[in-house]
Amino acid sequence: MAAPDLLDPKTAAHNSKPRLSFSAKPVVLNTPEDECDTRTTVMRWKTVSAIFFLVVLYLIIGATVFRALEQPQENSQKLAILAEKLKFLDLHSCVNASELEDLVKQVVSAVRAGVTPTGNLSLQTSLWDLSSSFFFAGTVITTIGFGNISPHTEGGRIFCIIYALLGIPLFGFLLAGVGDQLGTIFGKGIAKVEKMIVVRHAFYKWKVSQTKIRVISTLLFILFGCLIFVALPAVIFKHIEGWSTLESIYFVVITLTTIGFGDFVAGEKGHLTEGGSESLEYLNYYKPVVWFWILVGLAYFAAVLSMIGDWFRVISKKTKEEVGEFRAHAAEWTANVSAEFKETRRRLSVDIYDRFQRAASIKRKLSSELGINTSLNPEITPGKRTLSANLCEDRDAYPNLTLSLSPVPGALTRNGSLFLNGLSPDYADRREVAIVENLK
Amino acid sequence: MQSVSRSWLLLSGFVLFYVIYLLFGALVFSSIERPVEERLRHDMQVLTQEFLNRSCVNAASLELFLLKVLRANKYGVSVIGNSSGATNWDLTSSMFFANTLVTTVGYGHTSPLSDAGKAFSIFYALLGVPFTMLVLTACVQRLMYPLVIAPVGALQSSGLNPRPATTIHFVVLLVLVLLGFFLAPAAVFSTLEASWTFLDGIYFCFISLCTIGLGDFVPATQPGLKHRGLYQISVMVYLFLGLMMMYLLLSFFHKMADLHGLTTLLQLPRCDDSDLEDDREPIVADQPKGPPLKDKAASKPLDPSSQATYNSISKG
Repeated sequence: MAAPDLLDPKTAAHNSKPRLSFSAKPVVLNTPEDECDTRTTVMRWKTVSAIFFLVVLYLIIGATVFRALEQPQENSQKLAILAEKLKFLDLHSCVNASELEDLVKQVVSAVRAGVTPTGNLSLQTSLWDLSSSFFFAGTVITTIGFGNISPHTEGGRIFCIIYALLGIPLFGFLLAGVGDQLGTIFGKGIAKVEKMIVVRHAFYKWKVSQTKIRVISTLLFILFGCLIFVALPAVIFKHIEGWSTLESIYFVVITLTTIGFGDFVAGEKGHLTEGGSESLEYLNYYKPVVWFWILVGLAYFAAVLSMIGDWFRVISKKTKEEVGEFRAHAAEWTANVSAEFKETRRRLSVDIYDRFQRAASIKRKLSSELGINTSLNPEITPGKRTLSANLCEDRDAYPNLTLSLSPVPGALTRNGSLFLNGLSPDYADRREVAIVENLK
Repeated sequence: MQSVSRSWLLLSGFVLFYVIYLLFGALVFSSIERPVEERLRHDMQVLTQEFLNRSCVNAASLELFLLKVLRANKYGVSVIGNSSGATNWDLTSSMFFANTLVTTVGYGHTSPLSDAGKAFSIFYALLGVPFTMLVLTACVQRLMYPLVIAPVGALQSSGLNPRPATTIHFVVLLVLVLLGFFLAPAAVFSTLEASWTFLDGIYFCFISLCTIGLGDFVPATQPGLKHRGLYQISVMVYLFLGLMMMYLLLSFFHKMADLHGLTTLLQLPRCDDSDLEDDREPIVADQPKGPPLKDKAASKPLDPSSQATYNSISKG
């Protein structure tokens, strides 16, 4: 790159690195690390706020889509239940509306406490027997928090707080350990595959293979994981719980991302059945299996989600890099172009001045020969227009120059058209310019 | 070899301890809650019987009706009063819902009814959760400077050793967060929400900020609330800020544990000191180690304790 040398000899030393901050001042940046620090600090604020706005935008988009999808359903549900209520009241005329509402309120709060008033109450299993409490404790610690069961006593709530305070970090460590083992197992497999493939490739193909293998291995990881932790459990849930396919997958995703709405909970159905010994039996080892699946599935999901997060970061980093590179390139290109332009201007101005001098001398000769009196013509002649157009052609070739150039002493540009060095059209003789044109 | 067997030993120790912890919790919850449940069940029985006796309704049709009501109620559609109350899916409520989805709190007071809504939530969550984690970690990284590193540095330069300095500052920060993000909001909630006590407010704050989100208490859901939209938005802001502070505390705690040598003792993932750098190696690094997932930090869950080393994932 010859151009940077023209402008600033000091920057020639930094030619190899793409400069991300091209400024007019020729300050040599101290060390690369310092540059990195200040640059990354500045950029990270921007990154953070950019990502923040993106998240808010994402939320708003989600909100509008959810509203569009759900509100009609909700309205129809409302109408349906209202119709039911009216029908019920009609059918059973001895019940009045307020009594019914009272009952319903009680029923709803009872259900929230886990007691279902439908079915034969005496046969229902408790929501707080040991296995269900175990499950509840699990949902608290993993922060899934379904909410189909929740403590209602004050003591229960206080204990829940303390329990969670200690249990969540504990579970975090456990998950780290499990995920680590998972990752190690998988990583060993990948290493073996890589070794096999690498042996076959020549050395110069190393980098390409690595990337491909890495991408393929991540894809494989996602695929296998999905199969084992998402598809298989979804099928099992669909079979045992009687949900639809979508509902099973929905439950799996909502649980493993620890969102845990609680509208679908595995093993909940057992409480609503009429309690045969069969259903109780399978529940006994169904729930621990579900819990174990949650543990390993969470580790897998954490890995997948952190991978997606990594991609976001890589994308944002790449975008930043690209933007930085683009800016560097743009700055260098601007520098080149401005240097060339200055050169051209200088040449042109010299050229014009030469021609002007020649024109002046020719005019003197002519006037001395012909004895003609010249007069100033205030209108712009085609000659001048052509002249300025020719000179401005160069300007059109570099459209952005006027924006990025710093003022050069004795600037030739003013209001987008070129003027002669110190000379303006007011001084230029139209006729002389016309003569210059003809000479061209 | 010794370290490998040691790590397996430690892992099984963790699992065992975790199971014991769960059992312990189960026992305590069971003993506290069960009697209350029994009483409630008994009350319900009495109530239903009374209702049935007094009126001409038979048990079967009442049950049918109740089942329908309960199913509607699970999705937030209430039959009480006239049904022209506030919808659960206007813009701010939907945004609140999207927020609970994306921060993994997931109250469940409303959940998608339609199939399309469920499918959309799956994809929305899969993208939105890491997104939010990214934002939160980025914010926490930025906040670490003024809130943690600078004061600790100040304490150290006034003559304290690193360990006591960090401990003192941690305690101070903890107390401040408790005051500002638990006690104060709890007081606000207990005044704004009709049926909440102060304890309920604290319980709600804790359950939300740990992203457990049981959903038994959800603000801004009582009918006839004025400025509901504004209330919901301020709750969302509070949740976001609170989550950030929790992550900050946790990553500070992680750094402290590092400093005190706990993490190396228990072979837990270390806090990476160079997570100040923004420029990390991309996923497809040149090193022929395992994929970045292999890194311990990458496999931690979405709970707060993992995020300390989020940005050190590709360190490998």
